[in-house]
Amino acid sequence: MSDKSAVCLQIEDDLLAAAMGEAGAGAARRVEQHVAACAPCRREFQGYRAVDSAVTALREEPVPSGHLAQARQHLETRLLDLRQRLLTYRIFPSPLGHILIARSELGISLVEYLERGTSLRASRLSHDPGVELIEGGGELEAIHRELLEYLDGRRKRLEWPLDLRLARSDFHRTVLQATAAVPYGAVVPYAGIAQEVGKPAATRAVAQALRWNPLPIVIPCHRVIGTSGALTGYAGRRVGLKQKLLSLEGVPTAKRAGVLGITPQAMYILYPGDQEYCIPTCPSFSGHRPAPLTRFSSRENAEAAGFAPCTTCRPDLHPISR
Amino acid sequence: MGGEVFEAVVSAHHGEIYRYLKRVVGRAGDADDLSQETFLRGYRAYGSLPREANVRAWLFSIATNLAKNHFRSEARRRQAYEEVRASARGAVLPAPEAELVSRETGALVEGIVGRLPLKQRLAFTQRKIHGLDYEAIGRSLGCSADSARAHVFQALRKIRQGLDGHGLLPEERER
Repeated sequence: MSDKSAVCLQIEDDLLAAAMGEAGAGAARRVEQHVAACAPCRREFQGYRAVDSAVTALREEPVPSGHLAQARQHLETRLLDLRQRLLTYRIFPSPLGHILIARSELGISLVEYLERGTSLRASRLSHDPGVELIEGGGELEAIHRELLEYLDGRRKRLEWPLDLRLARSDFHRTVLQATAAVPYGAVVPYAGIAQEVGKPAATRAVAQALRWNPLPIVIPCHRVIGTSGALTGYAGRRVGLKQKLLSLEGVPTAKRAGVLGITPQAMYILYPGDQEYCIPTCPSFSGHRPAPLTRFSSRENAEAAGFAPCTTCRPDLHPISR
Repeated sequence: MGGEVFEAVVSAHHGEIYRYLKRVVGRAGDADDLSQETFLRGYRAYGSLPREANVRAWLFSIATNLAKNHFRSEARRRQAYEEVRASARGAVLPAPEAELVSRETGALVEGIVGRLPLKQRLAFTQRKIHGLDYEAIGRSLGCSADSARAHVFQALRKIRQGLDGHGLLPEERER
C-alpha cells in the first residue's frame, strides 16, 4: 500500500511528465512548487531526471556500422528483386469484357482479357511465381480511361510507357517491338513481321510469339494477320475480338468460306520499303517480286503514318470506293 | 511506384528503423530480417500512401507490427531477452567513475527495458529513443495516443523502480 499523501498521488503523472520535459506550463509550475516542499517527491523527480539522462545516453549509442551496412546491403538486394517482380494491377470493365491492367515502375507490362472471371484468380499471372501482383490505387485509372476512349474510337494512340519484362525471350521481345510499330488502321501479315525482325523464314515463330502478347491492344497484334488475309487466332480463339478492334480502325472484314478475313481489294497497299501507298491495282507493282504488304484501311490512316499517295496510281485522285 | 523515390526513403530511414528493431528484438540478425521486411512492405504499399502521410511514422508502424508478430513466439521473446541481458553485461567495462556509473545505468536500463511487456517496450523505444509523438505511437500499436502515453509512463516507472537499490540514482548517491 502506498504511503504517499493524496496530493502526492494526484501529482504523480504530472511529476513524471515534468521530469521528462513533457508537462504543460501549468502542470510544470505545480510540480515545481510541490517538489520544493515535498522531499520524497523531490527525490522521485530527481530519480526520473536520472532515468531521462540514462535514456538520452542510450539514444546516442551507435549501432556497429558493419551490422548496419550489411543490413542495408541485404535490403538493396531484396528490393532490386522485388522491383523486378512487382506489378500493380487493377481490373476494369470494358466493351471487350473485363480487362486486367498491370504496371511495373517502368511502365505498363500487362493487358489481359479475363475470360474466366472478374478477379485476379482469372488471370494467367495469378500463379506465376516470377511475378508478384498487388492491387493498385488510382494510378491505373488514367490508363483505363484512355483505353475506353480508344475502344470508343475517340483516341487513335495509346502512348503508354511499356515494360516488356513479361516477354519470354529476346526474340519474343523483338517481335513485340516490331508489332508495336504497325500503324493504326493498317494490317501486316505474320511474314511481314518476320521480315521486319530480320528472320524472314520465321513466320510460324512470329505467330507463336504473338499468341502470348502480354500487351494486346497497345501492342496491336490484332493488326497482324495471315498471308491469305485471314484474321487467324486472337486471345485464344476469340477472333471476334480481333474483328472488333480492326473494325474500329476501319479495316473491312468479311467471312468467306467460313473464314473471317480482311477485304484486301478495299484497302490501300504499301510495298515493303516504299514511302508511297497505292491502290491494289497500281501498275507500278507489275515489276515487283511478291512481298508481304502492309494494307491501310484509309488514305487518312496511311498518311497519318507518314506515307504519301503514289504518283503513279494517284490514290488521292482515285480513292477506293467501298 | 517510383523506385528512385523509394531509394530516397530507404536512404533517409533505413538506419533508424534498423536501430529501432535492433533495440526491440535484440539480435542483429532479426533486426536485419525485420528491417528488410519493413521496407519491402513499404515498397509494395508506397504507391497508395497519401502524399501528405508521415513516411517516417508509417515505417515505424510497419516495423512495430512486424516486431509484434516476431514476438508472438514465446521462445523468441526469451531469446531476445537473453541477448539484451548479455549485451547489457558486456557493456560494463573499466572506465572513469562517472562514465562507469553512466554505463552501468545504461546497461541496467537496457536490461529493464528488455523485460518490459512488449507494448511498453515498443512505446518506450519509439518515444524515448526515437522521439515519435504519441499519436504516431498509438497508431502503430493500435491504441489511442493517451494509451500510448500510459505505456511509456508505465515503462519509465518500472525503469525508475528497477534502478532503485543500485546506488545509481542521485538520492542514493547523496545518502
